[in-house]
Amino acid sequence: MKKVYLMLVLLVGLAVLAACSSGDEEANSGSGSEGSSGTDSITAWAWDPAFNIAALEKAKEAYDGDVEVKIIENAQDDIIQKLNTGLSSGTTKGMPNIVLIEDYRAQSFLQAYPDAFHPLTDVINSDDFADYKIATTSFDGEQYGLPFDSGVAGLYVRTDYLEEAGYTPEDLTDITWDEYIEIGKKVKEATGKNMLTLDPNDLGQIRMMIQTNGSWYVDEDGSTPNLEGNESLAKAFETYKKMMDADIGKIVSDWSQFVGAFNSGDVASVPTGNWITPSIKQAEDQSGKWAVVPMPRLDMEGAVNASNLGGSSWYVLNVDGKEEAADFMLQTFGSNADLYQTLVKDIGALGTYSAAAEGDAYAVEDEFFGGQQLLTDLSTWTDEIPGVNYGLHTYAIEDILVTGMQDYLNGTELATVLENVQSQAEAQLK
Amino acid sequence: MNQPSSDKSKLDLPVSLRYKETKREKTGVFFKKKVGWLFVIVSVIAITIFNFYPMVQAFLLSFQSGMGGNLEYTGLDNWQRLFSDPTFIAALTNTSIYLLIQVPLMIVLALIFSVLLNDPKLKFRGFFRIAIFLPCVTSLVAYSVIFKYLFGVDGIINQFLLNFGFISETINFLADPFWAKVVIILAITWRWTGYNMIFYLAALQNVDKSIYEAARIDGANAFQQFFQITIPMLKPIILFTSITSTIGTLQIFDEIVNITNGGPGNATISISQYIYNLSFEFTPDFGYASTVSYVIVILVVILSIIQFRVAGEKK
Repeated sequence: MKKVYLMLVLLVGLAVLAACSSGDEEANSGSGSEGSSGTDSITAWAWDPAFNIAALEKAKEAYDGDVEVKIIENAQDDIIQKLNTGLSSGTTKGMPNIVLIEDYRAQSFLQAYPDAFHPLTDVINSDDFADYKIATTSFDGEQYGLPFDSGVAGLYVRTDYLEEAGYTPEDLTDITWDEYIEIGKKVKEATGKNMLTLDPNDLGQIRMMIQTNGSWYVDEDGSTPNLEGNESLAKAFETYKKMMDADIGKIVSDWSQFVGAFNSGDVASVPTGNWITPSIKQAEDQSGKWAVVPMPRLDMEGAVNASNLGGSSWYVLNVDGKEEAADFMLQTFGSNADLYQTLVKDIGALGTYSAAAEGDAYAVEDEFFGGQQLLTDLSTWTDEIPGVNYGLHTYAIEDILVTGMQDYLNGTELATVLENVQSQAEAQLK
Repeated sequence: MNQPSSDKSKLDLPVSLRYKETKREKTGVFFKKKVGWLFVIVSVIAITIFNFYPMVQAFLLSFQSGMGGNLEYTGLDNWQRLFSDPTFIAALTNTSIYLLIQVPLMIVLALIFSVLLNDPKLKFRGFFRIAIFLPCVTSLVAYSVIFKYLFGVDGIINQFLLNFGFISETINFLADPFWAKVVIILAITWRWTGYNMIFYLAALQNVDKSIYEAARIDGANAFQQFFQITIPMLKPIILFTSITSTIGTLQIFDEIVNITNGGPGNATISISQYIYNLSFEFTPDFGYASTVSYVIVILVVILSIIQFRVAGEKK
């Protein structure tokens, strides 16, 4: 009798173990990067099928190595979660070889998992890429990221609304935010349309404003909060409040409302990253009624009419197959100017590889924007973007700032608000 | 429990019978215990590996801090940080507000619905029951998104209020700290009332009709019957639903993220969302995140004890 039960226990135990291990295998083969097979196939993770995934597909077509490239689409949030849980558990199983990371988050990954990424310092030439991308994709003297899409920002304007108020796009070229607000008031008077959309929960607007002056939420070291006494930030807050007070902003609370506002013609301008172009073009009936001018700057010494919003870069993980992955990166996004031509032509994805901007595809005149050479303009502005180290805490600080902004809009003194957010940030980000 | 004692004696009977039968076997008590263990050993091992081990690890983690994988023990720093962390305090306050307003509201509504729908004379009973239960089978994300659009500036609620002259200009529900909370509470109540109602309905079916009959003969009106019979008879179920609802509300995440994403400011952020933010939205600090998680554990334990004391047995 005893033996029978012992056998039973063993059997059950085995079954449980088998169930567990087979589950593991499945998880691994799903992402296709078991250590041993790393050499003949590499895996890449990215988000957005219309943009990043499409770009990867083009890169795969352009690549003539003998390593198979598997492209896996994940939502950005999922990639962040999987990387965080995978890397912090210390196992590299199930991790991809190549991953796309948003620039605002790059430093926190590089510093939180120092040995998890494979340096590309000797693989790519960082001088080939837009300057402003380098600070955020490198760490401790090593270049880790391969700069990919440009988040160069522009001011998308409705020429027909401006005309009604007596302005031309030239009047909005190279202006300050204060001048922009004055124009906004006139446009609202003449057309009844709001000048722009504002989302009090998303301070992208503030980020773009302070970067025109080479400033950020943190100091150069990337971790000390720089809020109190940050003149650019104070100025940006004041400007934001002025927009609210002038009542030229349509309040939105999410992406679809944001897109809906300009697609339905409710706003006269959209200051944002160039990745918005496909969304603007969705409203085909508005063809020819748009133009893009440089971003307004903060009314301060040293501020320029160029800024950035978003953008991301490729990273190679320090797992088996890293050499192959790095080679794939070098042959495609790292040196292939023709690939970038295809990217702008077929996908509208604007890279930051400097040599690419000289190609024909960049010089094309865009009918939707009244024949403007949009890509050439954007590339020119890309070179002028002040480089800043986004550091570790962009989103953590922004979370604090959103509350601060609410207080400020509700009448608290700016100095007090900034003092509060500074002490909060210092307490939270040790 | 105040359940009729007849239930208990019914349960006792088969157990004692089985006891006698097994005793007839020669192997004795020791063997019987082993057999018992054999039945539970798989689940015990599984629960230990997948529940208790992670719990202990998470507890240890709550004394560590650092970025991503570079964690080190920092003693009680995390726990001290909790009390001076305005975001945590905001999250705790919001969650408490949801809890204090939403759980009683939902329990009362569920009770009322279940009593109404238990009336055998009511026509289309099945239809109403399904209609009230149906929200429960919708996906959390899907209904949250729908609520978000219902209460948007151009949403149907605003249109309705405008057209009927209740308001003169649209209310931006989701951008107002007060209204945003109201929307969240409405949403959870809509989603979960039917779920709790089913428990009450099931319990009501088990209440002996003769008790009501006797009460009626004694001249008790409907209200007296409700408060003197229905509520006491349902007490264990009310306790159960209030504990599960409390735990559910303490862990609320999907609705907040999808309807307001914690905004405006931190006016609707919940503890779970803050844990998510600490782990994945900001530079990851899993140590501090698990400290915050343990706050939920402690709260659940405390609140459950209180609820047991208030509503539970007098023993």
